[in-house]
Amino acid sequence: MSDPTPAEMVVSPPRKSVFRNLSFVWLVPFLALAVSLGIAWQNFADRGTLIEISFGNASGVVAGETTLRYRDVVVGTVEDVRFTNDLGRVLVYVRVDNDVEPFIDDEAAFWVVRPEVSARGISGLSTVLSGVYIEGAWDNAPGAVAQQFTGSDSPPLNQPGRPGRRITLATDDGTTISYGSPVLYRGVEVGRLEAPRLSADGRTVLVDAFIDAPHDARLTQATRFWDTSGFELSFGTAGFSVDFDSIASLVTGGVAFDDVYEDGEPLPSGYVFTLYEAEEDARRNTLVRGPSQGVQFAIQFSESVNGLEAGDDVTYQGLNVGVVTELRSRVVETQFGPELTLLVNVSIDPQRMGLPAETRPEDTVDFFRFAVETGMRARLATESLLSSDLRIELVVMDDAQTARLTEVDGELPRLPSIQSNLSDFSATAEGVLERINALPIEEVMQQAISLMDAFEQLARNEDLQRVPGSAVALLDDTRALVGNEAIQAIPAQIEAAVNDLTALVAEVREGGAVASLNSALASLDEAMVGINAASQSAPALAENLAKLTEEDIPAVLAELQGVAKTAQELKLDELVASATATLNRVDALIAQEAVQGIPAAVTAAIEDVRTIVADVRAEGAVQALGSSLRNLDRAMAEISVASQDAPALTANLRQITEADIPKLLAEFEAVATTAKDLELQALVDSATSTLNRVDTLVGSQDTLELPGTINDALTEMRLALTELREGGVVENLNATLQSASDAAGSVAESVEDLPQLTARLERLVAETEAVISSYGARSDFNTQTLSALREVQNAAKSISELARAIERSPNSLIFGR
Amino acid sequence: MANAERTQHVLTARAAGLVGCAECGHVYQLGTETCAVCGTRLTSRDMTSLQRVWAWLFAGMVVYIPANLYPMLRTTTFGNTQESTIVGGVFELMDHGSYGVALIVFFASVIIPVSKFIAIAYLASRVQRGKPGTTSHFHLYEVVEFIGRWSMIDVFVVAILSALVQLNFVASIHPGIAAVSFALSVAFTMISANSFDPRLIWDAPEGKPV
Repeated sequence: MSDPTPAEMVVSPPRKSVFRNLSFVWLVPFLALAVSLGIAWQNFADRGTLIEISFGNASGVVAGETTLRYRDVVVGTVEDVRFTNDLGRVLVYVRVDNDVEPFIDDEAAFWVVRPEVSARGISGLSTVLSGVYIEGAWDNAPGAVAQQFTGSDSPPLNQPGRPGRRITLATDDGTTISYGSPVLYRGVEVGRLEAPRLSADGRTVLVDAFIDAPHDARLTQATRFWDTSGFELSFGTAGFSVDFDSIASLVTGGVAFDDVYEDGEPLPSGYVFTLYEAEEDARRNTLVRGPSQGVQFAIQFSESVNGLEAGDDVTYQGLNVGVVTELRSRVVETQFGPELTLLVNVSIDPQRMGLPAETRPEDTVDFFRFAVETGMRARLATESLLSSDLRIELVVMDDAQTARLTEVDGELPRLPSIQSNLSDFSATAEGVLERINALPIEEVMQQAISLMDAFEQLARNEDLQRVPGSAVALLDDTRALVGNEAIQAIPAQIEAAVNDLTALVAEVREGGAVASLNSALASLDEAMVGINAASQSAPALAENLAKLTEEDIPAVLAELQGVAKTAQELKLDELVASATATLNRVDALIAQEAVQGIPAAVTAAIEDVRTIVADVRAEGAVQALGSSLRNLDRAMAEISVASQDAPALTANLRQITEADIPKLLAEFEAVATTAKDLELQALVDSATSTLNRVDTLVGSQDTLELPGTINDALTEMRLALTELREGGVVENLNATLQSASDAAGSVAESVEDLPQLTARLERLVAETEAVISSYGARSDFNTQTLSALREVQNAAKSISELARAIERSPNSLIFGR
Repeated sequence: MANAERTQHVLTARAAGLVGCAECGHVYQLGTETCAVCGTRLTSRDMTSLQRVWAWLFAGMVVYIPANLYPMLRTTTFGNTQESTIVGGVFELMDHGSYGVALIVFFASVIIPVSKFIAIAYLASRVQRGKPGTTSHFHLYEVVEFIGRWSMIDVFVVAILSALVQLNFVASIHPGIAAVSFALSVAFTMISANSFDPRLIWDAPEGKPV
């Protein structure tokens, strides 16, 4: 058989694996693809978020070109510019980088940066060529993502994320403040002002300011802001100065600030700074360490506070201790209706008063309560000599009226005030000048000239010749006065009165009054025995009465008789005749029924007394009667004393008539001859005073009324006795006896006038003597001299009056009367 | 087509049992490992060539896409930034009336790269399918290889401008992503063209290497 041949082996090469032959080069395209895709994806992922910003207009904003920048770094591009549906605003769509997108929260601010030329400089110049861009500002804390924003046309002052502090200033006048004005600290711009706005009530202008960090840390309650806008010209004792801060602030206004004292308190939220008009004003109230430090008081002033204003100082012994914070008027209800008063609020710094730093306001008020009780008062004082500015002065008055710190709930404690001794120097000076101006100097000169003329005329004036005539007439008048019936009637009246008294006493004695009185006293004794209350006065009364009747009255009568005798011895026949007539009239008077009824009335009264005493036995009556009798006794004693003077009077009169008058007449001649050598002034003065006294004497009521007074006294006594008689009632007894006592007292007083009368008569006589002695012969020379002297005296008196007036009120020369 | 007839008569070194050195052109017997002259490793045909061609070609095409989509230049004039892509730049040049420059840029940046892609892909696909090549294919290959380096003209322009125009605020030019991409694309296509073994063009029947 045939050998099997093996089948031809078909050998096929193993199929090459695609992957085995795969070149590593293939990595390259895949890598490229991956990179490209990666870039594409990254680009897509990084293309940012679209936000929408609305602007009033989109001037210069170009889609695709205008960028959004943050801190001048481009963080986005405008993709589209559209209108709102109502075409009211422009919507700018900006693609914002993703890395900043989380920070763009709803507080973000956007504005378009355009070239701007202002007083503060030129900004945004780069946009002139490059076109505008949108600047964004946001804080650096991620917040709620927002997609829609409202952009502004100008950069906001308060940019989110900008470190610093936003504060509010209050001022009265917003004219010097404009948007963007710089805030300066020692001349360095540290912030900006926003646009001023009116407060809700329209009374103040509020302006917000943004102070950049780190300068905002300087803001404390010690910080004061002032306006530096414009320039300031000041002219004072320090000289002339022009001051302005910067050209920018000159044009746009500016505000500067500084701390006026160290370690100010931190600002509370909502703190509003006051914007002062000038640095001086701002620094002036250094004291007010903020409302928390100063303790508020109120002071009520009744006078004008013109010149006082808020911010003025409050001083204590010259040391600034506070500041005036407010002035206002206040209606106070008084019992006379509402009254308007001025109330000044002050803030006192307790530390300035020397109180420790940790003093609480209540302690300060306590301190002031004590201080006021020891005399501390507030008063107005002028700031300086030349200004009308006022300040408030706390003074301690040792002699102050007692006052207390008025404390009413809900009101500030009120310090008492006193009237100030303000002297408005300028007004006074002005007044002085006005017065000097108004002085009638020319008239004075004129008057002086005319005075000289008058002197000159006086020498030859005919009036001089009339002087002796006048003097003679005057002396005649005096003589007539001396010879006056009334005066001449005086001794007669006295005599008559004495006679009356004599008669009266006689009547009393004769009328059994003494007996009645004795019996009355006996009754009284009985009464006293009856009531077992022996009065000590009764014996005294009895003694007095006995003494009166037995000793005094006879003595008086004896004296009176002596008087009458000496009077009769006088050679003044008329006087004696007149006295006689008067005595006759007194006799007639006594002879009158009423007078004669007196003793009977007295008797009846005494009887009544006795009856009353017997009937009622009233206690006290005896004492009253005793005092009444004592008064009567005293009166009698006075009469006696007066009577003792009468002889002296008569002796004087006699001496005058006998010795002095002839002697004086003899001296007349010598005096007249030496008249021209006499001291003219003394002569004139003496004459004048003599005439004045004579006038006074003539006009004296006492002289005329003296006789009447005695009569009145007697009448009163009679009336009293009548009342005594008519009384009869127990209740009236005391009053009656008191009246009797008064009557006796009146008699005593009247009699007391007697020595005066005699003394006055004596003086009159002496003065008459002086007149006569100083009066010379009626020569022409004498009369003319006297006339001239009178004129001179008048002139001298006028000048003396003027001098006295000026002496009395020297300022009347200036102020007028 | 006219060349198709001639193809039949070409005797390749491989067919003659020889192998030529790709570097120095020395001819050796098949099977010789290394060139005695220059020491180059001798291969009759590089069978991984096509793979590399395709790979680099794809890479070049991939990066060519961002080169056209992304901006080539970022021109900042007075703070105003403009970004321009290649085609955008061409249109911009045309807007300014620089048609010649526009044409050059368009030719260098668009026509040539795209043509290279097409040409390389055409040649590679022919070899892949085993179609016999002609002389004209070889010429095409030579043109592609020659012209490839000139595609870098765009990149050079960008590089020079970026270096020169740095006037800060007034004007400044920065290269964009596209510049890098384009440069890469050109580089990749050149590598791709270089990777192509032109001898493959002559190997008529596919899969019959002798």
